[in-house]
Order: sequence, then C-alpha cells, then structure tokens
Amino acid sequence: MSITVDPRRKEKIIRYKAPKNQGQSGGANEDMMPDYMNILGMIFSMCGLMMKLKWCAWFALYCSCISFSSSRASDDAKQVLSSFMLSVSAVVMSYLQNPAAMTPPWAS
Amino acid sequence: MRPVFAFLLLGLLCACQLNNANVNPESEDDIDNDFAEFDDDFVEASYDNSATAENADSSKGLGGSVVSKEKVDAPVKRTVDNDDDDDGLVENDDEFEHFQDEEEFEGYDAGDTMEPPIDQKTEPKLKIPNIPLHFRTHWDSYWMEMIMVAGLLAYFANFFAGKAKNARLAQLWFSTHKALLDENFALVGDDGKVENENPGLIKESESLYTLWCSGRTCCEGMLVELKMIKRQDLVSLVAGLMRPQLDQAHIKIELSRGLMDTFVFAVGSKKTITKVFKEYTDLTKFCSLVAKPEERYNVPSGFGVLSEIPEATSAILESRVITALNKYQSYIDYLHISDQFSGQVQQEEGSTLKQPETKAVLLAGFNLPKHAEMETIKPLLLLIFYLMERLKTYRMSKEGKSKADKNRLRVEEEFLKSTHAARAEAAAQRREDKRKQEKERVLAEDDPEKQRRWELKEQKRQAKKNAPKMKRLAVKSL
Repeated sequence: MSITVDPRRKEKIIRYKAPKNQGQSGGANEDMMPDYMNILGMIFSMCGLMMKLKWCAWFALYCSCISFSSSRASDDAKQVLSSFMLSVSAVVMSYLQNPAAMTPPWAS
Repeated sequence: MRPVFAFLLLGLLCACQLNNANVNPESEDDIDNDFAEFDDDFVEASYDNSATAENADSSKGLGGSVVSKEKVDAPVKRTVDNDDDDDGLVENDDEFEHFQDEEEFEGYDAGDTMEPPIDQKTEPKLKIPNIPLHFRTHWDSYWMEMIMVAGLLAYFANFFAGKAKNARLAQLWFSTHKALLDENFALVGDDGKVENENPGLIKESESLYTLWCSGRTCCEGMLVELKMIKRQDLVSLVAGLMRPQLDQAHIKIELSRGLMDTFVFAVGSKKTITKVFKEYTDLTKFCSLVAKPEERYNVPSGFGVLSEIPEATSAILESRVITALNKYQSYIDYLHISDQFSGQVQQEEGSTLKQPETKAVLLAGFNLPKHAEMETIKPLLLLIFYLMERLKTYRMSKEGKSKADKNRLRVEEEFLKSTHAARAEAAAQRREDKRKQEKERVLAEDDPEKQRRWELKEQKRQAKKNAPKMKRLAVKSL
C-alpha cells in the first residue's frame, strides 16, 4: 500500500467551504438535539410560569442545559441564552409566588 | 306557570343558603380553615371589646393583669374621644391616638408585657395555633429541590470533564495522523477564512470536530469528521448505556471529475449497510443488496455489500482490501464509492424539477478504538489512499460500461417521468409570463397601428386555441 510518488499538488488546493445546509433539517449528519431541547425547554418554561408547576420549571432548566451543551459552535448563542433566561425566570417566579417545597407530579 | 315555579324554587334555595350561612359560620370554618382561630378572635374583638380583653387574658395566662387593665381603660377613653369629635374640637384629637386604640394593635403590646414574670407554680398554658404547612421552613422538605440542584451541578461537572476528554481524543487522532496527512496533502487543516488562522481541527460542537485537507492528486479535498460520543451531555451518556455508541471518524473525499469509472458500490457492517441503503439516493437507485457476500466476495461475516456492477465490486474487493477488512473488521463501519453521489433521499421529490447534482465521492466511516490507541487505526487511512489510487487506475470492461450507462439512463428517465406533470406546468407558466410581458410592451408603445395588429394576432391565436380540435381528413381527389 505504499505510495512512491509524491501525491501532493499545491496547485490543486481548494479552500474549505462550510456546508450550506447547516442548520437546516435533513442534513446528512445533522444533530437536531439542541433544537428539540430548545423547544421542549420553552414549552416547559411556559407551563412552569402559567400553571405554576415547579417541576416544569426545573425540567425547563435541564432542557436548556442539554441544549447548551450540544449546540454547535456556529449556532446562534442568543437563542441558547434566551432559553436559559426563560427557564431560570420560570424557576425564580414559581418560588417567588409560592415558596413552598415542590410537590412532584405524581403526588397531587 | 313553569317560570313562576322555577323562580319560587330558586328563591327557596337562596333562602336556604343564606340561612345556612348565618346559622352555621363556625362549623364550616372549623373543618377546613386554617385561620379559623384568628377569625374567631377578630369577630370577638370587633364586636365585643370586653370579651377581647378577656380572651387575651385567658390566652396569655400570666402577666395578664396589666394588659387587662389597659384594655378595660381603652373603651372608656374612646367614648370620650367620640364625644369630642362630635363637637368638632380638632386640637384634642391626638395624632398618636391610634396607638391607644387597642383594636389597632390587637395583642401587639401583650408580647412585651407577658415575658418578665415567670411563675413556677402554674405551668404556662401555651396555645399553638395551626400554622399552614408552607409557613414552616424545614429544609428537609426541600429534598426535591436539593436533588435538582445536585443534578445540575453534576451535569455541569460532567460537561467540563466530557468536553475536555473529547478535545483530548480529537487532538490525539490529529497528532497521530498528522505526519501521514502532511505527506499526502499540500493543505492540512483549514478554517475557511481568507487567512488560514487556525490550521488544524475545527470544533463544530463539543462532540464534533472537522478537518479539511486539500491539494492532492485524484481528489479535490478530504473532509474528516470526528464524531465523538456526546461525553459533555450527561443525558446522552445515560442513553448510551442502553444503546452503546462509539467514537467515529467519517471521511468524505471528493474525487476529481472523470477519475473513476461509473459505478456505485458500498461495503460495511450489515446494520450500517441496511441503514444507508435506504438513506442515500445513489445506493437506493443503482444498487442492490448482494445475497451471501461472504461466499461471493469473501468479505468477513457480519459485513454486507451493495453493488451495481458485479465486476467493479469484485475489482474493488480484491485480496488486499479483503485482508484489511478482515484485520480491521471491528474498526470499519462502511466504505462507499460512488460516481452518482447526491446526498440523502429527498422527502419532497415533486418540488425539484432538476435532477440533483451528482459528485464522484469516496466515503468511509471508521470506529475509533475504545482505549485511545490511535496507532491501531492509522493503516485505515492508508487503505483510503490505496483505494483512491485503485479507482484511478481501474477501468471497467465494455459490457460493464454499457450496463452502467444503461442504468444511468434508466434513472434519468424515471426522474423525468416522475416530474413530467410538474415540468409541463412550469413550462405553461413560463409561456404565460412571456405573453404577458409582450402585451405590456406593445401597450406601452405609442403606435396604435402596431397595437391593433398585435390584438388581431392575439385574437386569432385565442380563437385557434378555443376551436374544437378536428382531425383533418385527406380527401382523395377522384
């Protein structure tokens, strides 16, 4: 398998172009995890805020953490930040309104 | 009669309700109102001052004498004040009078006065009111919050540890293969900026690193994607316990135009092969799954082969490649060679009128070793370079070539057939647009003669279009 002739060709250099379909669905190796988690986090935050469900607010915080950890470097950092802020505010608001300890969803 | 009866019934019900409310306010309170006792005190205090004094007295037990004295005095004082108010003597109206008003601070000064005398003989009678549950701040009732916060801390600790490990593994891969890459490519590592600021791996996410190499014979460029396990994400790690994953390196080489003969071929682990067979357009349209590939092509068991032209497949799977496949069976996920690569199967096929652009590519997926012994998979990159050279030299026979051409023609025809209606519609739309433009142009012109002529022409055309289609019969002249 050894190659005797030098295969390098300087004149054939083509610069790297980032794939165009990045961020769109259906890409070959697209990871949709951060987007799903973002949406899920938003839904949970809303549930936490509107229905005063503390566990929802906590779940939202977890979702935004997952979204943050698996986001791409090229992704918009603002989106992750806003999701974080929303979930944190959901937790804070739910404890400001009612400082009692959380009741898990299975114990009504 | 009916409405009157209904009204009577309603009135009766209301009366019953009111009666109940008047007669039995306490019974309800006692059942489920936590503040029942406070309410009682309030009711008594507001309607009967002397009773309040007594109540305070009884509830406080000791040191009540001073308090009761004050409280008995208070109502008397107030009656005097009330008289003054009637006369309109404002100067007598003390600003701080409400401090004397025992209704204002019910039981406020009682706390101060009841403390000092401690009587040893009679045990103090303590009355503990029922405080609602959520006013008690017991930290152990917040156990779920503690678990949540601990979970978050664990998540972030794992995030930093996993991120560092992934970065270390990727860097290890790069440093192991750098010498080989430098020997083969004029450009190794490119970040896509005008000045190549960061030659080396590019971090796409915490678990995905890419490397672009270019400047070699046979190919335009090579993109290596190091797809690591998502070590930075604790949830993915836990999910990985159920369905184990491996670190992978995906290599995509864009071959020079016309370098390879026209055929599509793939070999890999059976699981991956069945997956890519459905996913990629070229494999779906050109290839068929080879039955019993172990006997036919000598590939190791557990491998599947997708082949378009059998002779090309056997030419690629020659003894050296088979040896490599056998030796590195656990590390090779798939090899995919195609001159018609156009990515994944599109879901909405009707919307595309043009056939997707195809490229000649060599794709490969390798599993990285578990214990970071990157040296063991170094020969796999050599295998890739060898395959590239092989594709350059290999030429199919005439029969094979004609079969491949026939296949490409068939696929093209199928595509044209499937999009026929859509293309006809698009063509009609184009024609219509063209006519509209022409009309606008003619109307914009000043020459009325020209306009009339155009209108005449248009009318003729419309008439011809609307006229029933008839078959013209040739009448034989006798």
